Amino acid sequence: MIFQLLINGISLGAVYALIAVGFAVVFSVLKFSNFAHGGMISACAYMGFFFQRAYVPAPPIFVTILVTGVFGMFLALFLDLVAYRNIRKHKSPGIYYFLSSLTISIIIEQVLNIRFSKNPYAYPNIFESTFFMVGDLRVSTMDTMIMAVSLLILVALVLLIHKTKMGLAIRAVAINADTSRLMGINSGVVVVMIFLIAGFLAGVSGVMLGAKYSVYPDLGQTMMVKGFIASVIGGLGSLGGAIVAAIMLGVLEMFWTYFFGAFSAPVMLFVIMLLFLIIRPQGISGKFAKEKV
Amino acid sequence: MKKTVVILLVLFTVFSGFAGGAAEKGGKATLGGPIKIGSIQDLSGGASTAGQPNAWGAEYAVKILNEKGGIQGRMVEITTMDCKNDAAEGVTSYRKLVDEIGVVAIIGPPLSNPAAAWVEMSEEDQIPIVGHFMDEVCTTDPETGKPYPYMFLAEPSSAIQSYCMAEFALKKLGAKSAATLYNPGNAFAKSQAAPFVDYMQKNGGRIVTEQTFSWADKDYSAQAIRIVAANPDVVFLCDYLPQNVTSYDALRDAGFKGPIIGANTLSLPFANMVKNPVKEVYFLQNYDMLNPNVGNFYELVSLHMKETNTASPAANVGFGWDAVQVLAAAMEKASDPTDGKEVAALLSKTSGVMLSSGSTITIDAATHRPNNMGMYIADYDANKNLRIVDYIEVN
Repeated sequence: MIFQLLINGISLGAVYALIAVGFAVVFSVLKFSNFAHGGMISACAYMGFFFQRAYVPAPPIFVTILVTGVFGMFLALFLDLVAYRNIRKHKSPGIYYFLSSLTISIIIEQVLNIRFSKNPYAYPNIFESTFFMVGDLRVSTMDTMIMAVSLLILVALVLLIHKTKMGLAIRAVAINADTSRLMGINSGVVVVMIFLIAGFLAGVSGVMLGAKYSVYPDLGQTMMVKGFIASVIGGLGSLGGAIVAAIMLGVLEMFWTYFFGAFSAPVMLFVIMLLFLIIRPQGISGKFAKEKV
Repeated sequence: MKKTVVILLVLFTVFSGFAGGAAEKGGKATLGGPIKIGSIQDLSGGASTAGQPNAWGAEYAVKILNEKGGIQGRMVEITTMDCKNDAAEGVTSYRKLVDEIGVVAIIGPPLSNPAAAWVEMSEEDQIPIVGHFMDEVCTTDPETGKPYPYMFLAEPSSAIQSYCMAEFALKKLGAKSAATLYNPGNAFAKSQAAPFVDYMQKNGGRIVTEQTFSWADKDYSAQAIRIVAANPDVVFLCDYLPQNVTSYDALRDAGFKGPIIGANTLSLPFANMVKNPVKEVYFLQNYDMLNPNVGNFYELVSLHMKETNTASPAANVGFGWDAVQVLAAAMEKASDPTDGKEVAALLSKTSGVMLSSGSTITIDAATHRPNNMGMYIADYDANKNLRIVDYIEVN
């Protein structure tokens, strides 16, 4: 029983991690929590669903993930253009980013509501069996895939950030955008790159979450709260910290729900977040971010 | 010339008087003009999968009614509003329909939250409301047991439906124990779960665990593991479609192999949305859904699917249709079909009104809910086609 809860908790944590990484990427450079990420995930979930449905037989899930990831990149660029570029240009305070991202998120959800209503859509089954056995433990195939994709993305991002010139530029802009500009780094390109990465992550998350649950307008929004808590506990802007915190949250939530019921679980999660902000605001990773919007 | 002017003035005054007399307060229907009714449905909220076909069924019923000459020779105008499965939105919709559009009766949604908020207003405005708000608190005062004078239910109440399912579990499935998994924050689910538990316990069954989740939860695997550990014979689900899908997959993923039974929200497209194989799923149905030989329900569903390009048949098409039939029958008998008080009095005496199921409805004046209406029990065949397996009547 304990091991089954642990396995399920890690699986749930993998879902939160996927979202938390999207948060962390944007925060690491732009220093704001991009709440539009939830809306983007929902939009991408619909995109992936209709892409799958457009072909008979449905294309392999990895093709759908790739196509939706590219769609997410274009969506992120578009949102940057309409919502953030002017704020950056005028060097407005961080609160404007926060308000803008929140507004965009609501707009996306409402547009999806108008276009598709609340009717849920279901991705076709990806796997023949929804679980496999490891000894006496039942392990979800979909959750295992989500976990593998989360880890793959983390490795790819770590390599990108630490082994490429673009990564060096991202790190430099993350530390100080103005100084980086004086040293010849085009911070505008770096910011666009960050949005492209976040958009791709939203695309991947959209397909994964849509395939695990079903697709509806507030899919990304409802999952985003947990992803946000994970990114705060992990240390805002830290990719590794976000993933560790997300897994930890998933496990905690699973055990708490089992022993104390589902209704008090969100309270427990927010209390943990509050405790971290009071005792260790830099989060698990130890990196300190000043603007914890 | 003077004479002509005087005659014209007199005529103008007389006709003005008539015009003023005909226009009633609040824009209500003029004598001999169309009869305005409202329809409040969840078109965009969490239960829109039910609300949209409900609205379609009511509008289509009005269209057919008008083609047959309307009510007492007067056409019926229906205005549909979206309550978004929200009590506050429901009140706003009600006020717009009554105060601005001037409707004289309302077709209610299959939702209890908004309907419960109209109890006092409908009495004050004398607006009869006929709907499928199954929670008994929408039709009778829980403290006095007396019916609310303007609220009428056109299908078996939640309690009766849950009793039917519990009876089926006990007698037909031979279940000795059961578990429930539902969201107590959902009035629909709550109104079904409690009577199910009550009926099981009073008739020799045992409830081994009652697991819950909230609107914010997306993963119910902890609850499912707990249910599997309790080892019930059956598990009862009674939420809306998306939550039922997640519950079912969580239970099967956790290793529960027994029958999963529940509300009519386990109906199609449920079978096409779950990830696990659909086995041993039994659920309530108001209609013998795909039987073309009884009533006109099959015809309604087919037309709805064609017109709206919907992939799965929706029982709520019949709900909207049936509510209009019940209301129209009372209005037809009234000396003034726009007199809410008279129509409400006649609604409480509803008897023998033909529904889309092919059966008739009789409303109990003591509860404002139907008398002796049973429920079908359905399951899915190997190709995920819905089929009726039983009919249960419990009072």
